Amino acid sequence: MSLNESSLPLPGRDLRLPFGLAVVVLACCAPLLLGNYALHAVIISLIFLLPAHGLNLLVGYTGLLSLAQAAFFGVGAYVSALMAVHWGTPFYVNLFGAGLVAGVLALPLGIPALRLRSTSFVMCTLGFVIIGQAVAKNWISLTRGDMGLSAIPKPYFALGPASFAVSGTVGFYYLVLAIAALATFVVWLIVTSPAGRNMVAIRENETLAESVGVPTWRYKLVVFMISATFAGFGGSVYAHYLTVVSPLTFQMSNSTLMLIIVLGGGPGTISGVVFGSLLFVGLSEALRIAPELRMVAYGFCLLALVFWFPKGFAPLITRFWTMLRGRS
Amino acid sequence: MTGLPILDITGLSKSYGAIRAVDGVDLQVHRGEICGLIGPNGSGKSTFFDCTSGLARPNAGSVKLDGQDITGWSLNRIAREGRMLRSFQKTVTFGALDIEENLVIAGQMFTFPSVASTFGFGARSRARVDGLRQRARELIRLSGLWDVRTQPAGNLSGGQQKLIQFASMLMPEPKLILLDEPMAGINPKLIERVVEAIRYANEQLGVSFLVIEHNIDVITSICQRVAVLDQGRKLAEGTPAEIMRNQAVREAYLGG
Amino acid sequence: MLFQISEQIVNGIVTGAVYALVAVGMTMIFGVLRAINFAHGEYYMVGTFGAWVAIEYFDLPYPVAIVAGVIATAFVALVIGQFVMRRMVGAPAEAGVLATLGIALILQNSVILLFGGGYKFFEGGYIEPVTILGVSLAEQRLLIIAVAVLVFFGLELLVTYSRMGKAMRAVSQNVECCAVVGIDVRKVVVRTFVLGAALAGLSGVLTAPVNVSVYGGMGELITFKTLPIIIMGGLGNVRGTFFAAMILGIAESLVATYVGLQFRDTVGFATLMLVLMWRPHGLFSAQARY
Repeated sequence: MSLNESSLPLPGRDLRLPFGLAVVVLACCAPLLLGNYALHAVIISLIFLLPAHGLNLLVGYTGLLSLAQAAFFGVGAYVSALMAVHWGTPFYVNLFGAGLVAGVLALPLGIPALRLRSTSFVMCTLGFVIIGQAVAKNWISLTRGDMGLSAIPKPYFALGPASFAVSGTVGFYYLVLAIAALATFVVWLIVTSPAGRNMVAIRENETLAESVGVPTWRYKLVVFMISATFAGFGGSVYAHYLTVVSPLTFQMSNSTLMLIIVLGGGPGTISGVVFGSLLFVGLSEALRIAPELRMVAYGFCLLALVFWFPKGFAPLITRFWTMLRGRS
Repeated sequence: MTGLPILDITGLSKSYGAIRAVDGVDLQVHRGEICGLIGPNGSGKSTFFDCTSGLARPNAGSVKLDGQDITGWSLNRIAREGRMLRSFQKTVTFGALDIEENLVIAGQMFTFPSVASTFGFGARSRARVDGLRQRARELIRLSGLWDVRTQPAGNLSGGQQKLIQFASMLMPEPKLILLDEPMAGINPKLIERVVEAIRYANEQLGVSFLVIEHNIDVITSICQRVAVLDQGRKLAEGTPAEIMRNQAVREAYLGG
Repeated sequence: MLFQISEQIVNGIVTGAVYALVAVGMTMIFGVLRAINFAHGEYYMVGTFGAWVAIEYFDLPYPVAIVAGVIATAFVALVIGQFVMRRMVGAPAEAGVLATLGIALILQNSVILLFGGGYKFFEGGYIEPVTILGVSLAEQRLLIIAVAVLVFFGLELLVTYSRMGKAMRAVSQNVECCAVVGIDVRKVVVRTFVLGAALAGLSGVLTAPVNVSVYGGMGELITFKTLPIIIMGGLGNVRGTFFAAMILGIAESLVATYVGLQFRDTVGFATLMLVLMWRPHGLFSAQARY
């Protein structure tokens, strides 16, 4: 975390710039290097990066453990799908609609939920997912119940008279990459702003933060809403990529997966979450591991994270990195 | 010592179930004064502090800060709008963050006018934070913590952490500071430094203080006036010398 | 009309008894560990599968399968207790949530990997109907109610009079003091955990003939049903849990009949959230300290 890093210059050269450039080049050239299936895996992991970024603001920076992310992800997916199917609005309108609805919905849900402490808060956020799924299943006139919504158009853009649709895996990859990069930049702006510092203060010690004038309740509510907005964006892209949504978008295991991305990558770090989504979503998708086996592996990861790696797996990489640098 | 008292508490009461932890206490802190608050364990000092600072809600009575009624305000609002800050006995710093970050956080809500403005990332926002950093560095120097400024606050000794907390409370130019046992659990060598810091803030910055402390030597050396609580009520009030002579106070301490 | 209602209430009591058997273990575990076990429904599933394997692969009669299912669950719980739950003593609440979520993933998906994800037919149990006071119900349902009542009396006795029960109460009062007076907190935690999980397994085995079908994902729904029960029953409170389970069972049964079957599974959580929003601190303050 940037706030923790000592300002003393580390021995050796600063490799951040070349490393960052390498990442950018790799990201841009990925379609040339990867096969169609691997590219699909990267797309899925970039989609899950959006709700994970939101969850990281909540869990990693503000210290609130939430399982609600799948609920807002599902809301975003449905809002976007309904707008596209019924109104035929262009993609970017659906995307913002999804984020907006999810974020605004988080206000009435967050006000009562954030009054609860620790386990009760977790339980309440889990309730949002369960109730979201029940609504998606039973509001049949709107959501078509278990059948879900299908034939969601591929993203298309309408700018003045010109309009074009993004089709094909490569086109979609660049679209998702742009959205994910933008989202990552926005998260960076938030966590490096004074508000980001206050969020960390709340995580470290809520009462002490209060005592220096930080209105912790308002911050928690705002961060809850921002995190829901990110989940809504993710749901929207997800709906347009898969072209179908069903009540299964609201499942507990989606929330668990987003939690594993954040905790496994490194809560309270941005690069950790990017790394986490590539590792836990991208890699497992690319290796075509049976979904059940993947879930078992996630389960063991959670146990390992809780008992041995409270800072996620990213510090292992950092250690490896410094080891390499120390040798050269 | 003329004019309105900076802090004017009347009839403050707080019960937990059947226990009346604080029972109708009146107390005033005058402008520019260091006022001590002593009493045996369980006499209601901490509850009194919590109700005054907004951490707990009193059942009855009123708290006026600088003429304004702040009864029932939340802790963060009293800090932010009233510029009355308080310390804690145990949790004193944001342990994972270095000293400078600790101090910047302490100053932020007094520099930025609203929650929304803290999300700003433009030049104005950066200039404000730079200003806070500068003030933080000055205070770190004054507290003699310059050499350890890059370490996580949680790694430092109890006394050093108390100094950090004290410096944090000076970030926003406070009117009044409530200190909850500033000397508890710190190295005797550092006691002198904390006393100096309190004197400096009082004399140079014009901050008034209300101090809970068990160390009677410290109380007699820094306080102009002392109030004694016993079993939730105010037992006595006066200069340190008067309090030391007071028969009722002696009995309360000796378990009469 | 009245007759129909009474039938629904009886059905509700049966459901409530099933929930009660699962929830009581969860609430006892909360009592000693101050952590909510998000994997508790999975032990219900493990119990059911244990019995199903005994019947399907070994041709054992149902009563023996009950014992097999409970023993299988207790064994799984013992392993998890030794390796995971012990470590959770004194850990923050979040660690408990995450670790038990992990266990839920492992148990549920291991069973699917072993036996496949489809629905399986559970053969066995006593499904002959009997008629009592004009209400007819399967013998198995009567058995469930009887076992639930017996278990609750047994637990009351255990908690009040046995050494283990006293240790359990002591641990749920104050962990630090127990360590001082020589109670092995970790041992108490593991034992309580195994007992609680075995009760969930028992509940699963007893319900299987009524549910007829058995599948790997069945535990999750049970977890979601019991979470509201243990909170509304006052975390750690055995008697309160029993009543909360009965109320939820009856409410679900009535909602399924008079409102719509599709709303049945959300009754618990919807109620829980309303209650939490109405009294954010009230429900917890009685038993649990936060």
